[in-house]
Amino acid sequence: MIAAAVLLLYAVLAAVHLPRLGRMAAWAERAPRLAITMWQAACASVVASALLAAVAFAVPAEALGHGLAGLFEACAAMMDSGVTLTSAGAVALLVAGTALVRLGWCGAAVLFRAGAERREHVAWLRLLGRHDRNLGAIVLDHDERLAYCVPGRHARMVITTGALRALAPEQVAAVLAHERAHLRGRHHLVIAAAEALVTAFPGVPVFEHARTEVARLIELLADDVAARRHPRVQLAAALVGLATGRAPGFALGAGGETALTRVRRMVNPALPLRRGEHAAGLLTVGLLLCGPGAVALAPGLVALLAHHCHELLT
Amino acid sequence: MVRGLGELESAIMDRMWARRAPASVRDVLEELRQERSIAYTTVMTVMDKLHTKGLLKRAPQGRAYVYEPVSSREAYTAELMRQTLAGGGNRAATLVHFLERLTPEEAAALQTALQVFPLKDSAP
Repeated sequence: MIAAAVLLLYAVLAAVHLPRLGRMAAWAERAPRLAITMWQAACASVVASALLAAVAFAVPAEALGHGLAGLFEACAAMMDSGVTLTSAGAVALLVAGTALVRLGWCGAAVLFRAGAERREHVAWLRLLGRHDRNLGAIVLDHDERLAYCVPGRHARMVITTGALRALAPEQVAAVLAHERAHLRGRHHLVIAAAEALVTAFPGVPVFEHARTEVARLIELLADDVAARRHPRVQLAAALVGLATGRAPGFALGAGGETALTRVRRMVNPALPLRRGEHAAGLLTVGLLLCGPGAVALAPGLVALLAHHCHELLT
Repeated sequence: MVRGLGELESAIMDRMWARRAPASVRDVLEELRQERSIAYTTVMTVMDKLHTKGLLKRAPQGRAYVYEPVSSREAYTAELMRQTLAGGGNRAATLVHFLERLTPEEAAALQTALQVFPLKDSAP
């Protein structure tokens, strides 16, 4: 019962207050990959602790102590002897089960919708664009300066003739390296996962912030990957080249802050994290992921130990 | 809605856009036959499909139709780009853009950030 209360309290506090801690972390831009992992771990820990709170509330602690096999045995015993869950416990399990199914459903819906949109987009690209062997990308005859990638099974990169005219060849190469990093890293799945959480549970601060931050950090990550093979300054120049000289009326929407961060990071790179800082980050990820499980199992373990110690003593 | 537009559909649309004038199935067939062997009925079927999909419009002329693209390639491209950028919520899951759209002020700030670092010493 205490475990259930602790888990539920943690889930609520983490859902509301983790975003604030996450935003304060100035190191995120120095280590985007670690920061993305940490956001994912934070979301997973909130979901896991909420689900485990229900389980801990419904299932007696002694059953959990014997691990999964013990849990099933206890369930079977409960059914055999006609003993059912308390009604409150049953409701808790039902709510948790519904939440889990909803998450799975929303995840599938996000992937399906994205897949359908991509297929249609690729069909249009095949009709309107031409594949450039040297670039390894589809070139669209369009004055607007744009570059993007379509992920998935028929992954491809797209660049407009407007962008090709505005950028030097080295800059085009850097832009395409950035897009290739998105495709190779399967970044669309990372974004889809963050999207699924928000769709399933709208209004939860930690999920909302995770989605925004992951979308931003993934750009920084792709920049870093591209910068391994291409001069950072060329990537920065490409960013500026694509951002400027756009048709009026085309310039609306957000994203400027990220672009400025990206240019600054490219021309003025910060030191990577020290080994100690990196280890601390990984430790935090570990704690976020294992914490809820440990709390849920703790009463069971205590009960198990008490049981066996009692046997030894008598 | 354009699904499964095959290579032949692309080839036909390429020629229709390049002509900038109405064309019968026979006209397109003759152009296509310069680089491949292809049956009249195949071209006719595909052009009929393109008409059903709303990419070609047609008018009867004698015993056959003359076809014409509904819009130019540029117009379709502009529309595709507009849709892509205005995709809304699910856009993040579909397409990852190199750069989101910026306001002129933001673009100017970018340029200032870059000017401090001349492009000539472009060491990685």
